[in-house]
Amino acid sequence: METVQLKQQLKKQIVEFLNLINVKPEDIKDDEPLFGTGLGLDSIDSIELIVLLNREYGITIQDPKEGRKILVDINTMADYIEKHRTK
Amino acid sequence: MGAISAIGSSVTENRMALMQDKCGIGPLELFATRYASLLPFGEIKSTNTFLQEQLKAHEPGLTRTTLLALHAFDEAIADARLSPLQVQEFETALIGATTVGGMCLTDQLYHDANKTEDGSEFLASYDCASVNLYLQKRYGINGIVNTFNTACSSSANAILYGARLIKNGFAERAIVGGVDSLAKFTINGFNSLHILSPDKCTPFDEQRKGLNLGEGAAFLVLEKEENIAGKKRYAELTGYCNTNDAYHASSLSNEGDGPFLAMEGALAQAGLSPADISFINAHGTGTENNDLSESRAMLRLFETVPAFASTKANTGHTLGAAGAIEAVYSILNLVHQEVYASLHFNQAIAATGLQPVQSQKQMPLKHVMSNSFGFGGNCASLIFSKADQ
Amino acid sequence: MFYIHQSSCISAQQTFGTAAIASLQDAVNNRLQVIEPSYEGIPTGILRRMGKAIRMGVGAALPLIKGSVAIDGIIIGTANGGMEDCIKFLNQIIEYDEGMLTPTNFVQSTTNAIAAQIGLLSVNKGYNATHVQRGLAFENALLDAAMLLKENAAASYLVGGVDEISAYNYNIDYLDGWFKKQPLAAKDLYSSNTAGSMAGEGATMFLVNNKPEGAAARVAGLCLLHTGDETLLAAQLELFLKKHLPAGEQIDLLLSGEDGDNRLNKFYDAVESVLDNHAAVARFKHMMGEYATVTAAAVWLAVSVLKNQTVPLHMIKKDAKPSAYQRILISNNHKGRQHSFILVENTR
Repeated sequence: METVQLKQQLKKQIVEFLNLINVKPEDIKDDEPLFGTGLGLDSIDSIELIVLLNREYGITIQDPKEGRKILVDINTMADYIEKHRTK
Repeated sequence: MGAISAIGSSVTENRMALMQDKCGIGPLELFATRYASLLPFGEIKSTNTFLQEQLKAHEPGLTRTTLLALHAFDEAIADARLSPLQVQEFETALIGATTVGGMCLTDQLYHDANKTEDGSEFLASYDCASVNLYLQKRYGINGIVNTFNTACSSSANAILYGARLIKNGFAERAIVGGVDSLAKFTINGFNSLHILSPDKCTPFDEQRKGLNLGEGAAFLVLEKEENIAGKKRYAELTGYCNTNDAYHASSLSNEGDGPFLAMEGALAQAGLSPADISFINAHGTGTENNDLSESRAMLRLFETVPAFASTKANTGHTLGAAGAIEAVYSILNLVHQEVYASLHFNQAIAATGLQPVQSQKQMPLKHVMSNSFGFGGNCASLIFSKADQ
Repeated sequence: MFYIHQSSCISAQQTFGTAAIASLQDAVNNRLQVIEPSYEGIPTGILRRMGKAIRMGVGAALPLIKGSVAIDGIIIGTANGGMEDCIKFLNQIIEYDEGMLTPTNFVQSTTNAIAAQIGLLSVNKGYNATHVQRGLAFENALLDAAMLLKENAAASYLVGGVDEISAYNYNIDYLDGWFKKQPLAAKDLYSSNTAGSMAGEGATMFLVNNKPEGAAARVAGLCLLHTGDETLLAAQLELFLKKHLPAGEQIDLLLSGEDGDNRLNKFYDAVESVLDNHAAVARFKHMMGEYATVTAAAVWLAVSVLKNQTVPLHMIKKDAKPSAYQRILISNNHKGRQHSFILVENTR
């Protein structure tokens, strides 16, 4: 799958999985921070995104703290997925 | 009083175990879950069949949660020498607590929630109220019956509600307590938040990795001060307070506002100052968040933090039963003028330097505080005082 | 006991915002599901996580906590809390065989989540309790509030009752015989002469304190009972009325929790037999449905009747045409075992 396509798919999945009301996938910028500012996600969301990565891409991240280093923005997530996906 | 936990099936057994630094946390033997071999739990090694036989409770639809509650309830009313008629008086209230209720029956609940025929015998047993509704029916209780669910502080709230019913003239006596049994629901719920420890929990330790789930039940009989002539008395409930941390749905604020306000409120209610507290049975779950927030709150409130320990290292975190079980333990502290070791402690949290009691010992105790802080920011603090002889 | 100053109700009828209860919204498939407002006051970042029970509870509470009266504590009665979220988490457990699961369903499903969220949104660090005694959960919440107001005379509290119909707990109660086997129209509920009722849901909140000035109503008496004996129930009602009605005063309106389940009629017949001919009788479960904390909605209705001095035609069972509605008795039972009386009086 092309990186551009992956990022589009990922944005859609994030919006659905986290039930982000009023957020359109196409409005999420690739380099917009997911946590803190930007999309404003929190610690529960980081756990949920780890589950998302597991269910959709077969990636297992054991420690949520490790997860936060990967879940910086769409770019870092897509990059990690491309390198580690098993699905 | 009555109590059952992973370290004993009666108040006496629990005390013996505490005195011997016994840890009831280990591999599961009875409960079936994917995590049986991966995580340790404070499991009560009595099967449901055994409990049913022992308690003569064979009605259909009885859950393990109800059986454990019944066990502790029977012990408490026998210990208080209450006659069946006294239990049935309009002035005797029953206030309980549970977070699991009948949801320990994951598979049956899944079936009943999703299928349109062949309902199981547990249809009326899933909610939190089912436990006390059974006790009410079995013993013909006519006073106020209620159940709390405020997560980990549930049974502490049940105790303080019972006390207030008496104080405000809605009851003369209150049988108060709580229960929870192991359930896939809570095991998986806490696991999904990454707060279950793969090892035996180490409350207040710098290297703590999370909590261990446990199961248990405890009930206490509260009597109005004017009615206690000639009766055995263990301790006096002198202070209590319920507050909310109002910070996050599943974690406490950094400075422990909710815990601080609860402890402060209990002291004010009891007319005591922080220096009057001899010992604290801490909430001390072993999670990174709780132990730090709780420590900060204690440091804020007490000029010198009194001796403290967490008995969750012995029993695991018994959720809805925790407040009541730990109230029993706090009362044992007072009755026998002894404190028990906070197990598996090695190294103080760097940010606080606080060390819990590390070995069992006799010490003069006048007022013991018992704290319970939970999900949803629900905090409760109870103060028990040595009964006048 | 105490005074109600403000109330808010999200239900299957037009009760939220500008109330319009003269016309009856019908049930669909034996369910009286709420009309949900837009929840403008709830930040989307928080709203996205909420299941219906929590949305309704918070939505009903918001107008009261954003008002000018500061609240010292929050007391909620709910039998099932966020049951939908609970079962969603359960389904995850089964579907993924206890594998990696998302925590939101779990955190949102705990019954204390409603009170906790209201506390969070209003940054209220005061007393916060959740009572879960099924058909007496709301009554215990009221009792708790009454005691708090005795203990803290100058305080104000938010007290409410919330329960949702989820596909799942509907299923469980249906299997247990508590709902009609065939769908019917709300207006035909009481004449159905079969077992079971119609499912309902709702969130009703009250701001209560000890101040009579400007109050909408007074909760003058409360009785909680567990019994299966209608004779005992009648006897308790006699005692209750003797205790709470001043000499020579009467009940003007009985708001009856009759729910179309013919097995439970004996309780309501017993209650009606105790009251004299002066009392009009009205029913509310064809509007609100049957659920554990429906008496909260009944109290809202009582407050509405006291204010408007009129009862919607579709509610009336027996019209005694009292000169004024001053004293309203709510009598309810849940599944034939948990009974309550609530006396609501006019303050004007």
